Order: sequence, then C-alpha cells, then structure tokens
Amino acid sequence: MNCEVCQLKELEVEHFEIGEVLRCILHTIVFHRALGLVRPKDVDLELFEITYVQCGDVELEKKIDEKIEQFISWVEKHPNKKSQICLSFYEEKKNKQPSWFSNKIERIHWEQWYISLNVAQHTKAHSSKSHHSKLAFDPAESAVEERSVRRAALEASLREVMFQIIKFANEKKDHVPPIPNREGIVSFPYEITIPSSSDSAFGMDMIKRMLQSGHPTMLS
Amino acid sequence: MDLQGNSQPELGKLEQIVSQFLLKSLHIILDSRVPSCHPHGCSQDLSSASRVRKSDKWFALVLGDHPAALDNLNFWHRNLMDPMIIDIIPVHEGSKSMGESVETVIERWVVQYEYPRKTYKKSIILLRALYSQMRLLPAYKIFRQLSRSSQTYNFDIIYKVPSFGDPFSRVDKEMMEEHSFNHLEAFPVRLCIFVAYRKTLTDFNLEPSTSLPPKIITDYVGSPNIDPLRSFPSSEKGVRAISFPLRGVRSPSPVPFQRPRSWTSGFHRVAFSAQNQPIVGSPPSYRPSALPYDYPSPPTDIYGLLVMMIISFHLHSLHLHPRLLRHTSPLVILCKHVYIHKLILNSRYLSPNSSDPSRSSLPPLSSRSRNIEPSSEESPYGTTIRDSKDDSGWFLRLLSSSCSPHIRFSRSSSRLSFQDDLDDNVFSSPFDVDDVDALDIQVSHNFDGKKASKFTSQSLPIVTKSQDVVVGVLVHMLRTAPPLRQDSCCYSSHSMKTELEEGVPTASGFFMPRKTANALEELRSFIEMKDLLLSKSGTRVVSKDDF
Repeated sequence: MNCEVCQLKELEVEHFEIGEVLRCILHTIVFHRALGLVRPKDVDLELFEITYVQCGDVELEKKIDEKIEQFISWVEKHPNKKSQICLSFYEEKKNKQPSWFSNKIERIHWEQWYISLNVAQHTKAHSSKSHHSKLAFDPAESAVEERSVRRAALEASLREVMFQIIKFANEKKDHVPPIPNREGIVSFPYEITIPSSSDSAFGMDMIKRMLQSGHPTMLS
Repeated sequence: MDLQGNSQPELGKLEQIVSQFLLKSLHIILDSRVPSCHPHGCSQDLSSASRVRKSDKWFALVLGDHPAALDNLNFWHRNLMDPMIIDIIPVHEGSKSMGESVETVIERWVVQYEYPRKTYKKSIILLRALYSQMRLLPAYKIFRQLSRSSQTYNFDIIYKVPSFGDPFSRVDKEMMEEHSFNHLEAFPVRLCIFVAYRKTLTDFNLEPSTSLPPKIITDYVGSPNIDPLRSFPSSEKGVRAISFPLRGVRSPSPVPFQRPRSWTSGFHRVAFSAQNQPIVGSPPSYRPSALPYDYPSPPTDIYGLLVMMIISFHLHSLHLHPRLLRHTSPLVILCKHVYIHKLILNSRYLSPNSSDPSRSSLPPLSSRSRNIEPSSEESPYGTTIRDSKDDSGWFLRLLSSSCSPHIRFSRSSSRLSFQDDLDDNVFSSPFDVDDVDALDIQVSHNFDGKKASKFTSQSLPIVTKSQDVVVGVLVHMLRTAPPLRQDSCCYSSHSMKTELEEGVPTASGFFMPRKTANALEELRSFIEMKDLLLSKSGTRVVSKDDF
C-alpha cells in the first residue's frame, strides 16, 4: 500500500499563535479522515477570521492539545528554528517478518501530513538610545503595524493551508483503507509526531518509523 | 444512464444513497448559508447526548434538525441523477415588497451524483470536504452576521434550487471563482460537487439596519428617575394610547408614532404591526399609535415601555393580590413588570417576609372604572407570566415590604381607561371600592386548577442586579413567555382581534370582555387583599363578611 504524503505550506507564526494554528490544521485534517459518526463542531479562531470544524471527539481534542503543549515547550527550548509536526494515519498489521526494531504488530502508514512552522521571535518595540524621545513611539507604531501586516499574511496563508487540506483529502481517497471495525469517531489509528528534545531526534523518529513499516532492505 | 446489470433491490438502494447524498449536501449548504433554514442558530448543540436520527447516520455526519425545505426535495428534484443546483442570493430589505427582481447569485453549488458504486466511503469524505469548505468561503461570514441575534440587517439570504442554472453574465463570471471538489472518474462512477462563488461581497452593502432613524424629541420632559410620579400633559383627558412594540425580525416598516420618543430608535429590532389596536378605546380614548406622554428618555428601550405603562396605568405603587398575581390578563402582567421595574428603580432590596403567598398583605387593585379592551387569546407580548406558588410567594414577599402601590382606574362603564395623572393623593386608600361596579379588571378564580401564569424564576433575583441587566431580563421574559390562554373572564364588552406577527400578538390582546359578576368577584378579592395587608400592618381589618 502506498503512503500518500502531503507537505503543507510553511507558515510563519509567532509564539502565541502556535496553538491556534496547529489546532486548526490538525483538527481539519482529522475531520476529513475520521469516518466514524461525527457530530461536527464549528470553532471560530480567536486570532483570525477563520472557522474550522472539529469532530466533537473529546479524546481527540485532549490528545491534540497535549501534543501542542509539548510542541510549544520544545519551541521554547529551540527558538528560531523551523520545525515540522507530522500527523500520520496507519493500519496495524501483524508483522510477518520480525526485524530488530519492530515488534509483532506493525504499523503501516498510509497517509502522512507534514505541518511546517517557522516560529518567529517576538519583536519588541523599544527605542534605541540614539533616538530622541519624540521618536520613541515610532518604533512601537511600526512594530504594531508590522505585526498586523504579518497577522493578515498569516491568516491568508492559513486559509490557503485549509484549502490545501480539503483539496488533498478529497482528491486522494483511493489509498484510504476500509473503515476498520472499531469504536470511536476517529476510525483510523493515528499519531502526531513532534520534534523531540534533541536536534536529531526528529530524524531518528523518521528512521524508526521507516523500520517499523517493515523495510528490511533498509538495514542492509 | 445505463443501469443495466443492477438488480432491482440494488437500484432501490442506489436511489436511496443518491437521494440521501443530495439531501445531506443540501442540508450542509442551507445550514451554513441561509439563517432561516438554520433551526437553532449557529450554536446548535450536537453533543453526544442528543438523539441521533436515522438520517444523521447517513455518511457518518450528524447535522441535527433539517430545514423544512428538505422535505420537499422530491418535489422539485424528481430525477435524482440530474444535477442539483443551489443558488445563494442576498436580498435587501424592501426589495421583496417592491417586487424587485434583480437577484445576484453570490454562490452557486452544483451537486451531481451519478451511479455510485463502492463509493460510499469516498462520498463520506466528499461531504466532509463540503462541510469544511462552506466555512471558508466569503458568504459564510455574512451568514454568521445574519445568524447573530443581537442585530438585524438590511438584507437576508435566500436560496433557490432551479431546475437549471441560468448562466452567469460575463461581468458576474469575472467576479466569481470556481472550484470543483472532486471528479471521481473511476468508471462508471462520477461524483462531483462544484461551486462558483463571488470572491468579494463588499459591493452588496450588507449592513446592520435600524428601522427608526434617531429623532430629536423637542418636548423632552425629564428622567423618570428624578420624578417618576410627575404628571404629564395629555391630549385627551384620562386616556392614553399604548402601542406595544412587537418583536419582528426583519419585519416591514413600523407604524410611525405620532410623536417620536427617545427610546423608539432603540426598538430597531421590533416592528409595530400595521394593525396595532389601542389597548383602550373610547372616552377617554386611546389612539392606536400615539404615545401620549412626553415621558423622559429612558436609559433602555424596555425602560421606556415600562415607564409608559406606569403612566398609563397611573401607577404610583402597585399592590397585587396573590390571585391577581396569577392572573393572566395583560394588564396584570404589565403591572407586575412595571412594579418590578419600579422596585428596581427605587433600588430596594426586599427580603422575603412572608411564607404564604395567599396571605400576602398586599392590597387589591384599587379602582376606578376603567376601559380595557377585551383581550383575545394572546397578550400583546404573546406571553403569559406564569405564577407558581413559590414564585408568586417570593414576589409577594418582595412587594409586601415595599410601599403599597396602587393602581388607579378611571371610571367607565365597561372599559379600562388609563389616566395620565400620577398624583398620589388621588388614592387615599388602596381599597377604593366605590368604583368597583365599573371595575373591569377580572381576576381569575381558577388559579390553582388552570395552567396558571407564573413568574419564571429567572426574573426574580433581579433586584440586586444592575438596571440594564434587569431590564434585559424583563424584556426576555416578555418576549419568551408563552401566549396567554383564553381566559373566561371578560374585561370589556368590546372584543378586539389579536393580530399575530411572527408569534407576537398586538396590543389589542390586552382587552377582554367583562361582566358585572366578575367585577364583584374582583372586589371580593380586593377586600381579601386589604384584610391581609391590614392584618400584617396591625391595623383593624375589615372582614370580608362585611361586604
């Protein structure tokens, strides 16, 4: 089974915008892949004029919020870094060929969504010593203006990302496996991968995933 | 379409899937574009506790109550394989009545479902995409504006499902973007949703509306807070008209007042029925649409109305018999509201001091003859104030520790008239029984047995809140209480029809035919009230046997 990968457009966000942006994107993706009985819940973003839809699954909300908090903690420790969050859907199958890193149950990822964020530093408005007091407000005003411009650009980009998700989710459907017989709104098992503490951990996670998906040729 | 090879049961199942898909698509589209089709507003609760209907399970998407339009789907969409076209059109206020035919389509949805086979899962995803997309297009914003209950706008959104879509003009096409959701080309399956939408809606002048322009009141009198008992000049002695604003969302132009008041501009959410009838007529007569008093501009809309009622009923203070509290007559209801409001104005917090509502020390309504138009089934507000023992008990306790209000009625044979004189001295005693014979107000005697009106509990603890909050609560109470039942009592020999507009009756609902026997009954109840009051205050009570 092939794994469809969707690389979403990179977004430049400020620290305080991370939560809203991630929540919007993650919930939108899951809404299109949760094929259980969904009670859609419209959620208005506070920072942007965008309404997205949640599945109404409390467990899902909790899990997403947890992951976002972890990501925010990671960002605080690794400022000024581009980062990716991966939301992937998989199937669980018994592994016929056990390998070093895999156990009996194998995860076959059939779809992966990569959310790229570039978290910008806070721009503090302050006047340098060389400026006169009359000019002290200019940097502040320009910072505010700059922020509003950036906010508008981010809203437009986020809206683009939403359309991108809808388009991809709707066009790529052949690879979606049959709906498993399991309870829950989110019918397919999923996982959200955020960068780990170490810089190279994200890459290691990718390798682990590849190994778990059962490609023994990788080891050779 | 070639459906050969399919057995009949499969064909039936096929048609069912197609019709359900079309239904679901239409539901999604109307739910997020046409406010009138949105049963519960944007905050519809689709929690897991709510019942899941069979229709909700289709395509694993619970949408809740569906608009009535969906029931007629089969009527105007006979061939399920034909594309279903839904046009979203904003219409401006006044354009409907003027018969304007210019309608600009801001969105056109085309849903086509052909020969589905093994695509149920994919159609689930397609509908999810449709649901999400509905909230990202420009028209969703104006839908949300209209759905907000706090304002009315000068436009509305309607929809049309034409059998074929008129092609857009070149100009319109240039302003529109197109998006096709999906073409499932896995033969013989074809599944398609297409939308053409306007990129921007700024040229539609979609704004909040105010039905009454602000006007300067040249004969402004003063604030009721300063002197609520101040008398006001009146055009006709003893009678004042009361026009009750009726709640009508996006209703036609209101009946103009004879004299604008400072609070009328605040009634931009209510409309005056063109057939508004006077609460009281003939001498002293009420004018249908006149607001007789140059009452000072109140801080809020309902305040003005209530103050108007105070003047109209010559309310100095209000004593209400327990039975009267449960009365469903509009007069009593309004009196209750007025009294509550008056209490709030006086910033009195009244502690309950009576546990037995029936033993309230409140005096009965004092009376002169009054003219009350016969009330019809509904009150002017389309509401009843329901009394429960506990609620009225609280209310009575509230009242009993206050001053003793009076209601004064002018003399008239069979109708209630409202004097404009708020002079306290006119009422020497709340128990003016002289005019009882002509008393029109009826007190129902079947308080317990009937489905009585009662104060809803949320209206009670308002004394300690701010005026605005209290007024808001009163307005809400007036607007949401159920209509009056048909009361057997009569207020007046005149009967006036009640006009209902969007469920809100006119002011004519105030009046009921009245008989002498009812007046006598009322007198007896007043005497009871008087006894209770006097017993409470330690004064010698005149036994009702004396009567």
